[in-house]
Amino acid sequence: MNKIELISIGEVAKMLGISIQTLRRWDESGQLIARKTEGGQRRYLKSDIQALADGKIFQLAHKWVSEKDLIQITSDVHCKDRSIFEGRLQRLNGAIVKGGVSNDLIPLIITATGEIGNNSFDHNLGKWPDVPGVFFDYNINEGVIVLADRGLGILSTLQRVRPELMHHVDALKVAFTEIVTGRAPEKRGNGLKYVKEIVKMGIISIKFQTGNAVLTMGAGDLNFEINLIDSLVKGTIVIINFKKNKK
Amino acid sequence: MKIELKKFGNILNSRPAGKDAYSGFLSELSKVAESEVVEVNFAEVVSFAPSWGDEFLSPLLEKFGDRLKLTNTRNSSVVLTLKLLEKTNGCKFSNY
Repeated sequence: MNKIELISIGEVAKMLGISIQTLRRWDESGQLIARKTEGGQRRYLKSDIQALADGKIFQLAHKWVSEKDLIQITSDVHCKDRSIFEGRLQRLNGAIVKGGVSNDLIPLIITATGEIGNNSFDHNLGKWPDVPGVFFDYNINEGVIVLADRGLGILSTLQRVRPELMHHVDALKVAFTEIVTGRAPEKRGNGLKYVKEIVKMGIISIKFQTGNAVLTMGAGDLNFEINLIDSLVKGTIVIINFKKNKK
Repeated sequence: MKIELKKFGNILNSRPAGKDAYSGFLSELSKVAESEVVEVNFAEVVSFAPSWGDEFLSPLLEKFGDRLKLTNTRNSSVVLTLKLLEKTNGCKFSNY
């Protein structure tokens, strides 16, 4: 018989990367209902929370970048500045090595993640609309890495050098295809073109949303597709999927 | 002169970090003799991103041209980054 393990709200907060206050609110609104001890303390079934943690990284990030009112996320997933992001990138590298991912894939997975995360910091420096930093979480067993920011988004940042761009779809296309040269002294990154090459090589697949435009490109695909969707995100949200071995 | 990139870290990411690395090395570069080869060694580098590379390697190539020699470049992120930098800068790295 399986042992039922109940865990505290603090443990749940850590597993899901959200604050205790948010969990209390979710309990009250029925989004994630807790059991109560005789003394009234919240308890959760660990297996339920683990399942949620494994599959919900993207949903949590999406909620963080799409809701007008900021939901609180913990420092486990929120990299408030670049140095914290770099530290977590090192941790990802350690986890990915430990997780048995093939050695020839690791450098490209790490570099793609680093380029996307650093893009957020580069393009929003001193201009974050509300909260600075990047959501960054991963699940090595599922082969998923999620990055998100509540920054200006690609359209606004590209308009500085390409003022004729009017729509998120067009900006996303430019970001993934054209070598954009900025006005001095601002150097423009070409990180997303680099990421596209890694997808073409079959190392990762990617889903990238900015505003109401979503780019999807499967591992090994030569081209991407961009679609318009109803839900709008602030900044960007990216999901990278990878396999432990290429074949 | 030999530059061991691992001394800057094993994950070489971001423009600011690449720029800092180059700025920090400028005084050393001023000591390079006129015909001296500058070797950039990628041994033990795990991740080499185009943003870091553009800030560090592109000015080195501009300064030293054919005298810039790259070694231990088999890491997949290094290979791909060098290709992208050659394409974006319209240049060619030699000796790798």
